[in-house]
Amino acid sequence: MSALSRVLNSPRARLAAGILLAIVLIALPLVSAPFANQTITRIVVFAVAVLGLNVVMGYAGQVSLGQVFFVGVGAYAAGITIKSEWGMSLGLGGVVMGLVLAILIPGVLGLVIALAAARLRGLGLALVTIALPIIGVPLAKRLSDITGGSQGMSVRVFAAPDWTGLDNDQWQYYVVLALGAAVFALVFFLVRGKYGRAFAIVKENEAVASAMGISPYRYKVLAFTIASAVGGVAGFLYIVAIQFVSPDVMSFGHSIELVIATIVGGAGSIVGSLLGGAFYVLIPQITNSIYPESTTVVQGVIILIVLFLLPGGLASLPRKLARRFRRSAPSRTAGPTTPGAVPPAGEAEDTERQGQR
Amino acid sequence: MFNFGTFLQLIVDGLATGSIYAALALAIVLVNQATGMINFAQGGMAVLAAYLGMTVGNLVSPVAGVTLGIIAGIVAALALSYAMGAVVERFVMRRFMGGDPDTAVVATIGLLTLITGLIGLIWTYNYIPYPFFFTGLESMSLGGLAVSAWSLTTFLTIVAIMLLLQALFRWTKLGLGFRAVADNRASSALSGIKVGRMLQVGWGLAAMLGAIAGVLVAAKIQLVPDMFDTYLVYALAAVIIGGLDSPLGAVLAAWGIAVVENLAAAYVPFVGHDLKIAVPLILMVVLLVLRPQGLFGRKVVVRV
Repeated sequence: MSALSRVLNSPRARLAAGILLAIVLIALPLVSAPFANQTITRIVVFAVAVLGLNVVMGYAGQVSLGQVFFVGVGAYAAGITIKSEWGMSLGLGGVVMGLVLAILIPGVLGLVIALAAARLRGLGLALVTIALPIIGVPLAKRLSDITGGSQGMSVRVFAAPDWTGLDNDQWQYYVVLALGAAVFALVFFLVRGKYGRAFAIVKENEAVASAMGISPYRYKVLAFTIASAVGGVAGFLYIVAIQFVSPDVMSFGHSIELVIATIVGGAGSIVGSLLGGAFYVLIPQITNSIYPESTTVVQGVIILIVLFLLPGGLASLPRKLARRFRRSAPSRTAGPTTPGAVPPAGEAEDTERQGQR
Repeated sequence: MFNFGTFLQLIVDGLATGSIYAALALAIVLVNQATGMINFAQGGMAVLAAYLGMTVGNLVSPVAGVTLGIIAGIVAALALSYAMGAVVERFVMRRFMGGDPDTAVVATIGLLTLITGLIGLIWTYNYIPYPFFFTGLESMSLGGLAVSAWSLTTFLTIVAIMLLLQALFRWTKLGLGFRAVADNRASSALSGIKVGRMLQVGWGLAAMLGAIAGVLVAAKIQLVPDMFDTYLVYALAAVIIGGLDSPLGAVLAAWGIAVVENLAAAYVPFVGHDLKIAVPLILMVVLLVLRPQGLFGRKVVVRV
């Protein structure tokens, strides 16, 4: 057993697993049905949204209930830009401008909101951000001249170029996958570096952070701004994948589902963000095919079970199982272990933060 | 142009809806004082209580008459909501007490999702009328003002309940114990107060307060699973503006928010009826910049 876990934990094995996953993801759309491609594309879209939420919630430890608002703003910013005469005249440049604005506008909005909300101690961010989706929906309906009102608006972002010989669903898949992978890489390096360590200290103890010269206020604002901008990218990807946006995208219910997906996937975990995206997309897809009315109940039950039994989320499941195996295996083979025994080498892995303990 | 009668009416209606925000805000403050948590499921629990009241009311009405049915519904909503609050505290929230506050918040959000989902599963997501003495449309004349029966009843009920709660906390032994627990849990446990029981009382009373708000709102707009989502936002805004540790502040802020948003909806063309929900957010942001501890809150100095 320990041999297996040692193999699983070695960096080389992880690298190999990562490369294998990448190859599978790249080859998959060439052979699978359009519906499967679209599902995976949507999973990546919402994994990026969850990843953004994870920056502020999992890494900096501030609950935000407004992430879906930034996804919506990003989607509208991209859609409106691409659809406008100016965007159309630029061709592919219009799409790029759409992406730029889908990052900038939510980022700036997030910055302004965080500057005010981070002043509240404790749960301030949660209390303020819960209002965002509830304002976002009527606001999008009101600005119907540019947003298409409650009807929503469809945006034809781009069809697959001829030289690729791909179908549209395959092309969307690759675009979303490439951009999503880039965002994941950026965030990965962010949270592994200096900023990630600062976030961790702010999350652990704000007083200690201040004493070390790390301003909790500044880092909370930074985390929230990054989360908003990443949410905006998810909005752009949403437009690419779905080619349609309506006020319903940023409804209160979706906002809460995104928070639940983040915790179920694993707060403070990059892999957890991916699992969170899958949870967000797949659970409604599965429940809708069985009994549509049950979606919300299922989500509520799962989140409470996770909080009670698996606070680190699905991402912490392999580690938790491995630990259980290690604990029970020696007692069966070699009798009880000494209480003060040095933990096996794999235990060091536990210091990787999983958040929401 | 400017009609003084309309103006007064906007204020009266604002005070009535403000009373609903106030009831929910007070419930949130109550739970926060007892446990230091913010219960995002407070609105969801209120809605569930109203659905239970509706069900009991409709069961009793054919047997004992409409009036008795309505009363039975209200009594059932109150009793069941108290039980619900106590059960939620004991079997869900206590597990997260003293831990990471963010986890507790997520737990209440999970609870909100679960409750909303359960309501949808049992009673569907369609509107269901709530049996009550009157609807939101009937009005009466009061000194030349047309005041809706709903507004007047709501305002008076909530004020009466707040006075009752105040009396309970100030002059009863239970209230004394509750205040002791809110102030310092460890020392009150040492002096023989049953802390767990007090926490249950806090959650139970908060749930009852919510149930009253739930029944009143259901009487006006009918029942629908997500009917309190917006109210929750208003209540949280009131809590932030009034100060988390000040029940009076939260109530005054709730009334203030409702009156201001009503006036803004009527007199500021861009706001209108659909965007008035933005008013509390803007008030909140302005206040947070100027006075982060809330209008009536105390600045808390945390020792390390």
